[in-house]
Amino acid sequence: MNVVLALAPRLRSAGGQDSRVITLLAVTAFTVSTALTLSVVGGLIAFQQRAAHPVGDLQHDSGGFYVILAATALVLLVVPLLTLAGAAARLGVVRRDARLSTLRLLGATPAEVVMLTVVETAWQGLVGALAGVGLYVVLLPLWAMVPFQGTTFTPEELWIGAWALLAAVVVPLLAATSAAISMRRVVVTPLGVARRQGDRALSWVRLGALVLGAGAFAVGTQVMGMFGSLAVLVMLGLLALGFGAINLVGPWVLGLIGRASARRARNPAQLLAARRLASDPKGAWRVVGGLGLAGFVAGVLAMLPVLTASSGEQDEESRIILQDLVTGGMLTLGIAFLLAAVSAGIAQAAAVLDRRREFALARLAGFPVELFDEVRRREVLLPLLVVGAGSAATALLMLLPLFGTAALEAPQGLLLLIGSLTGGVLLVLGATETSRPLLRSVLADPVVRAD
Amino acid sequence: MTSTSRLQARGLTRRFGATTALAGVDVDLADGELLAVMGPSGSGKSTLLHVLAGILPADAGTVTLEGRDVGGLDEKQRSLLRRRSYGFVFQFGQLLDELPAVENVALPAMLQGTSRKDAVAIAAQWLEALGLAGKEQRRPGELSGGEAQRVAVARALITGPAVVFADEPTGALDQQTGHEVMDVLTRTTRAAGASLVLVTHDEQVAAWCDRRIDMRDGRVVAGPPPTPAPPVAAPPAARFETGAPVDEADVATVAEPAEQMTR
Ligand SMILES: Nc1ncnc2c1ncn2[C@@H]1O[C@H](COP(=O)(O)OP(=O)(O)OP(=O)(O)O)[C@@H](O)[C@H]1O
Ligand SMILES: [Mg+2]
Repeated sequence: MNVVLALAPRLRSAGGQDSRVITLLAVTAFTVSTALTLSVVGGLIAFQQRAAHPVGDLQHDSGGFYVILAATALVLLVVPLLTLAGAAARLGVVRRDARLSTLRLLGATPAEVVMLTVVETAWQGLVGALAGVGLYVVLLPLWAMVPFQGTTFTPEELWIGAWALLAAVVVPLLAATSAAISMRRVVVTPLGVARRQGDRALSWVRLGALVLGAGAFAVGTQVMGMFGSLAVLVMLGLLALGFGAINLVGPWVLGLIGRASARRARNPAQLLAARRLASDPKGAWRVVGGLGLAGFVAGVLAMLPVLTASSGEQDEESRIILQDLVTGGMLTLGIAFLLAAVSAGIAQAAAVLDRRREFALARLAGFPVELFDEVRRREVLLPLLVVGAGSAATALLMLLPLFGTAALEAPQGLLLLIGSLTGGVLLVLGATETSRPLLRSVLADPVVRAD
Repeated sequence: MTSTSRLQARGLTRRFGATTALAGVDVDLADGELLAVMGPSGSGKSTLLHVLAGILPADAGTVTLEGRDVGGLDEKQRSLLRRRSYGFVFQFGQLLDELPAVENVALPAMLQGTSRKDAVAIAAQWLEALGLAGKEQRRPGELSGGEAQRVAVARALITGPAVVFADEPTGALDQQTGHEVMDVLTRTTRAAGASLVLVTHDEQVAAWCDRRIDMRDGRVVAGPPPTPAPPVAAPPAARFETGAPVDEADVATVAEPAEQMTR
């Protein structure tokens, strides 16, 4: 252990209040993503157990199908979960900027600064993972209240056992890797000014999403033999493909919309928010992408009541399965909303801190505080609406041909769609308000040091 | 009350905990006057600039702008005052990264209520006057340090400020580039009829100003003899006529460079 690493605890406090806020945000993100990942994996394992030891006809006939559904939910949530963890790790870059000068005075090399931040991010990952396991335990009784297959799970069924502790290894590793990768994208000018470079490395995520989507589709096709409901299968396939496609085109569409609204902008707040979107559509997508998924799921869910209604007289088993599809979908949707909200809160905090010097100096020059608040809100709201509405519309467009106008005749579906989208948008907006105090403290800083 | 002082400060005091950053400072800044503030590190230069500009309130003392007491304003009013009546050039990092140069310059004008179209047109004129024609659409990250500071100068001047405050505006540049920017800053500020408070460590730059004060331990000390009259360096842009005063800076409107410079 060298001098710089030995100094790490001292340096941690050097950043003052912002530093504490960042640490809190990062740990929260790791906690939430760990707890939700464990919950979803726990659900998957519970369904597997039931399928392996079926009780009753339903579990006997359709146990395997439920396992596939649970796996699909996990697949759908993988990208937003990783996104959240990545966003938390990326906060480390901001920390490094803030601390560069201090470290340089101590004679640290850039490599040591990177190392320090990676180690620190891993620590946050560890704390978050442990807290996440705790949160998972706390949530177990809650998940145990959700009925599936006509009965609820016991908390014991949903508890994945000692495997949960694996999170304490995996999460810090992921966090450290992600931090190291983000850090590579920052170059440091001789004056110690960190300047961000173009963010080019996201294509693999999009590729990954497509592969996952295709994988889910392939798995879905496999189930054909197990379960006869073609509509559900087609729906699953569409879901996976649609999700992949949304992730692929999302950033591109946001960029287009950013440029278009930059052209139309009339006042400073509109202009700033639009330019921000246009200059970093991938960053914006990271914030709202989770909601894109949720919106898409909501769109699909909106069709389920139709499916239920149109099946007319059906046996008890099919009724329960359809009911469970809605329940599972709603759960996935809720988790996706939560992930989107936490991601948004974190990304906003990072965005504020990234631009702390510009903001503080603009404030000194007399730019009104309200301007920054409005920019901050617009920055999220615009992509949020575009993405939420866009992905829900995509889902509807893809599914309408399947169900025809029956979809429009059963309004519960549309109500569900509109209601959950509104709820999700409000949740994400609420999460971004957490960066308000941070913005205030950045703006209130009267002494912006030159070095 | 002197009618010749555009900005006047009397007995300014400011403490930070146990540190006395300003210990009773008087400043008089005449219309269109360029004032250099010098002194060793920690002597209170930045604090003086911040208090004069209404960024920090003083613990004691008064600041008057054109005869109006601006010391007692609340934070919101001071913010408005800075936006309307002052221009700022900081060492670096004041331009918003996502906006092209021309919009960075236009932004203060838009905040005054000028339409985007007009603000951008005037901003483009400013950039041209400062030797940045053709670079309007560049983002700050795509500009050299010297170019970015010129953009900052344009941004400070577009609102037709009464006083421009600059705290080591070329501190992050090499000497040659720094001098070029300083030359542009002093020249255009003169041409626009604004007064200038310039914190600098550079004797030569101080010599381009009309007057200098030296600070030590929060006080103005008797500095070296007054510097010989204005500019020593050859103007890089010959079209600026130096010293053309503007009788009254119109705070509510946007200044057009061409108009101001030929007056
Ligand atoms: N926000 C603050 N909190 C505590 N002390 C401060 C603060 N701002 C300034 N000081 C102290 O006040 C004194 C004057 O600082 P100031 O920044 O005005 O110096 P300066 O002349 O601009 O120095 P430099 O040339 O290094 O920029 C210094 O001792 C400094 O440490
Ligand atoms: Mg200073």
